[in-house]
Amino acid sequence: MSTPAPRTHAYNLHVALRCTAPVPLQAEFDCAAGELLALVGPSGSGKTTLLRAVAGLYQPPGLSGQITLRAAETEHIWFDSQRSIALAPQARHVGLVFQQYALFPHLSALKNIAVCAPNHWSKHQIQGQAMALLERLGLASLAQRLPHQLSGGQQQRVALARALVRIVPLPSDGAQVAGLAAHPPGVLLLDEPFSAVDAPMRQVLYRALAQLHSSLHLPIVLVTHDLAEARRLADKVVIVDGGATLQSGPPEWVLRSPRNARVAQLVGIHNHFASQFYTATGADPGMAHAGPDSANTSPGMGRLRWGQHDLHAQDKGKIDNATEVTWVLAGGSVQVLSPEAAQPAPAAALSNNAHHQNAPQDKAPQGSAPLDNYLPCQLIEMLPLGEICVCKLAVTGAPPGDEVTLNLSTALLRSMQAQVGCALVLHIPPEALHIMPVREILAAESAVGTPL
Amino acid sequence: MPDNAAMDWQAAKVSLTLAVLTAALLLPPSLLLARWLAVTGSRAKPWVEALLMLPLLLPPTVVGFYVLTTLGPASPVGAWLATHTRLQLVFSFEGLLLASLLVNVPFMVQPIQRTLSSIAPSVREAAWVGGLSPWRTFMLIELPLAWPGVLAGVALTAAHTLGEFGVVLMVGGSIPGQTKTLSIAIYDRVQAFDNTGAHVMALVLVACSLAALVAVFRTSPARRNH
Repeated sequence: MSTPAPRTHAYNLHVALRCTAPVPLQAEFDCAAGELLALVGPSGSGKTTLLRAVAGLYQPPGLSGQITLRAAETEHIWFDSQRSIALAPQARHVGLVFQQYALFPHLSALKNIAVCAPNHWSKHQIQGQAMALLERLGLASLAQRLPHQLSGGQQQRVALARALVRIVPLPSDGAQVAGLAAHPPGVLLLDEPFSAVDAPMRQVLYRALAQLHSSLHLPIVLVTHDLAEARRLADKVVIVDGGATLQSGPPEWVLRSPRNARVAQLVGIHNHFASQFYTATGADPGMAHAGPDSANTSPGMGRLRWGQHDLHAQDKGKIDNATEVTWVLAGGSVQVLSPEAAQPAPAAALSNNAHHQNAPQDKAPQGSAPLDNYLPCQLIEMLPLGEICVCKLAVTGAPPGDEVTLNLSTALLRSMQAQVGCALVLHIPPEALHIMPVREILAAESAVGTPL
Repeated sequence: MPDNAAMDWQAAKVSLTLAVLTAALLLPPSLLLARWLAVTGSRAKPWVEALLMLPLLLPPTVVGFYVLTTLGPASPVGAWLATHTRLQLVFSFEGLLLASLLVNVPFMVQPIQRTLSSIAPSVREAAWVGGLSPWRTFMLIELPLAWPGVLAGVALTAAHTLGEFGVVLMVGGSIPGQTKTLSIAIYDRVQAFDNTGAHVMALVLVACSLAALVAVFRTSPARRNH
């Protein structure tokens, strides 16, 4: 069924699983050798279940789909419901680091690793490789310690070494075909590996993982609920919710362009609102509602009706006219100005639905473009967190309850002498508005696909 | 039997043989049963557990009575055994051993099951993912971790067998050298107003039980609420 793939060939872990009970799953993702993929989702979203399914530890009767390791010419099938293939965990080449380490408490660090080494290795090879892995992770001096004599971070690294001994070939294997046959490609799976260690140790482990990532040519799948961690470590994130993979892609891209409102919520975007979108050429049924005349004439520029405001937003031609949409305010591109600095924008904003295009360019704040949106607002809450201050802003004329939350620099707020209750102006360039159609989440998740 | 012999060595030998054989024969099936109970999600589990615990609650005479009625020469099983194997399970050491195995099941299974259940499922799974077959996982990981439970099971079974009275009397009668154990010898001595002899043997039993319990608690101080 499986023939060895030369290690030099790139291979790819392909996972496509469906299941209705006991845990509903509808997941699909790919992780190439050398790639670090993070499954990100809230507690109970099924990300650990997915990882366990890849390892062969979760195989309920109703599970269907495929788990394969594909190279150019060969394919290792771990699970294929149609062909009734379901390898036992022992037969999959998986290194799994459990959340609570799951070290064998009666065995020394060295023996914990040695006991999981491939059966066909000689005792000498096992000892050598186990020791080499401990050295690689900076634990050589602790080889004879029992797990309870190690700190959390040290236990974590022993668990990592134990996972690696299954999937890292012996140095002597080299490119020899015999060695490769004995060592088919493997996958490293990490289940919330950093959740149980303190912050300084986490930094050490991040570094260790980054080093492994660059030196091992393996697919690495990391489960985490921490988006910042995923962003920091992963080449690719897969957002998981309710057992379904909602969106996958490079972390920055997923954060910038969440596929729908649920993804936006899961990736921790606070500023998502519901509105109607009018395309660049579309007719505005609410003409009585004063709108920007020039917007209709600006190519590629649609409008977003938000309470009393019509905001300029990019029209990529993917959303129909007068569609209900969810939209996200990308906090990084939004500026807060004092009313004086934004002059004469606030006056225009207040009287003319936030449209500033008539303001003379020389008076516009630095860095602004003619179609940028300026909205008057009031600072209603300040939560200082050192250099950063979490601020809530109520936009004048926005629908009730739609508040904007921004992380603003404390220094900036001080320079503006901003206090709770004071008036400010939000400067929103059109590209800071990310627009998504409103859909039933499940209907949208039939496949992890292209962004909208 | 000599009147003034303080210690009935014959009875002590029967008791000791019975204790050793009971523990030795009961250990392997108890390990398998305890392993199954520790990990199973089967709906039958509470029933099996209840059945295993039954000998703890029932008067030993009840167990003895059922052994007699199901295995006695008048019963179909007893009759079949008598014709085909010449094995007589009533008023014989073999019968005594069988009854002893039955009443000791909870003493052996319970402590082993408890230590096996206390192994985190992820440790077992780590072994599987690490390439260890279920059997190697049991031998290399689970059994060493369940060692205190195994020791407790063996010690409790042996001590309990030494002290068993009701079942022994019902099934074995009191045949010197065959089925007369220390606890029955003590009863006989008291009946014969030989308190000195009773004292000596009673002390031996107290010492054995105490030693077993100390062994249990020394290996696993947390598991004393049997």
